[in-house]
Amino acid sequence: MERVLLISPEKCVGCGACELACSFTKEGEFRPAMSRISVYHFEPGINVPMTCQQCDEAPCMEVCKTGAISRDEANVVQVDGDKCIGCRMCVMACPFGNMAYSVEKKTAIKCDQCNGDPQCIPFCPTNALEYVPADTVAVSRKKLFSAKFAKLVEEVTK
Amino acid sequence: MIELSIDGKRVMAEEGATVLEAARAAGIGIPTLCYHPGLPPDGNCRLCLVEIERKGKRELVISCMYGAREGLVVHTRSSRIWKARSFVLKMLLERTPDDPLLKRMASHYGVAFEERFHVESDPCIRCGLCVRACEENGTEAIGFAKRGWEREVSAPFEEPPRDCTGCKACAVVCPTGCIDVEEEGDVRRIWGKDFRLVRCALCGERFATEEELAHMGLEGDEAKYCQRCRKMLFSARFLVGL
Repeated sequence: MERVLLISPEKCVGCGACELACSFTKEGEFRPAMSRISVYHFEPGINVPMTCQQCDEAPCMEVCKTGAISRDEANVVQVDGDKCIGCRMCVMACPFGNMAYSVEKKTAIKCDQCNGDPQCIPFCPTNALEYVPADTVAVSRKKLFSAKFAKLVEEVTK
Repeated sequence: MIELSIDGKRVMAEEGATVLEAARAAGIGIPTLCYHPGLPPDGNCRLCLVEIERKGKRELVISCMYGAREGLVVHTRSSRIWKARSFVLKMLLERTPDDPLLKRMASHYGVAFEERFHVESDPCIRCGLCVRACEENGTEAIGFAKRGWEREVSAPFEEPPRDCTGCKACAVVCPTGCIDVEEEGDVRRIWGKDFRLVRCALCGERFATEEELAHMGLEGDEAKYCQRCRKMLFSARFLVGL
């Protein structure tokens, strides 16, 4: 069943455990700069974990010319590092800054939800990150928020 | 799906796959220099030579271009293949004797550099990956010029290429790393052309060239802020929207 990575900033305490879990899983080292999820601290107590939204119409996927970016059966946008030629157009195209480029690996990198088992989830002490079926109440709440958000962005960019 | 035999092993491959793709998917290694999974094959380096059986005979073909067919019998290891690949490496070494990757491959095949022709050493092996990467990106700023031994990758008329956006993909895919990219201050120089780097309006990081942004038709936040700052801004808006 399709699942989504649900982010609830109001529950986030800003510990950064997700960043460590992610960079350790993906790069073998505790290096938040290489994490696919980032926590932003705005004011004491106000933290937002942010990672790829797996957009329905993903701009990164649309600009990729070599077919390195595709959507898998679980609706997750995946990068095939072997096919990446390092043009970084996806990095520039993502409006949310969730696509990065690894100079060492010579490929674009993003959250791939760890093949259906996101490693950040068990390390989040407050359940600010949850991996839930796409049809739960929480998700419909998120969708409502997305709609509100889209409206907001429209107003800002007007 | 189609079924073929590679080194006596039954291998399933997708319709339209090449012999190289079928072999690699089955975990059978074939050396390549000019192949990139994200780019169309071009058959330039000739290192991926394998033998196929046809009409009772064994024939040498380049696996990156040869289509896998139902029932095809392929051999990737034989003394003939070894000899052919060794010869290819020997010829490549003649002009590019100092490249670490080439040297490693040559030593695997027991080939050492011995000067047969008096030629100037050149790190480019004419694999054409840079040209294909540029084509695929829709920029087509560089291509092959001249013929025979003189053949080389060049921008039109050896002038700074008009269509180049300075994306560096050519330098990323180059197997010998021979495409120079220089960055100094706000300027990136590649193929003899200078590109002005755009600074992020928030953190000041130089995140793209003006030409890249224009090529992609980016406006708004994407043209103003770097990836990290966009992520931060999105987080802030995410919060406000709650």
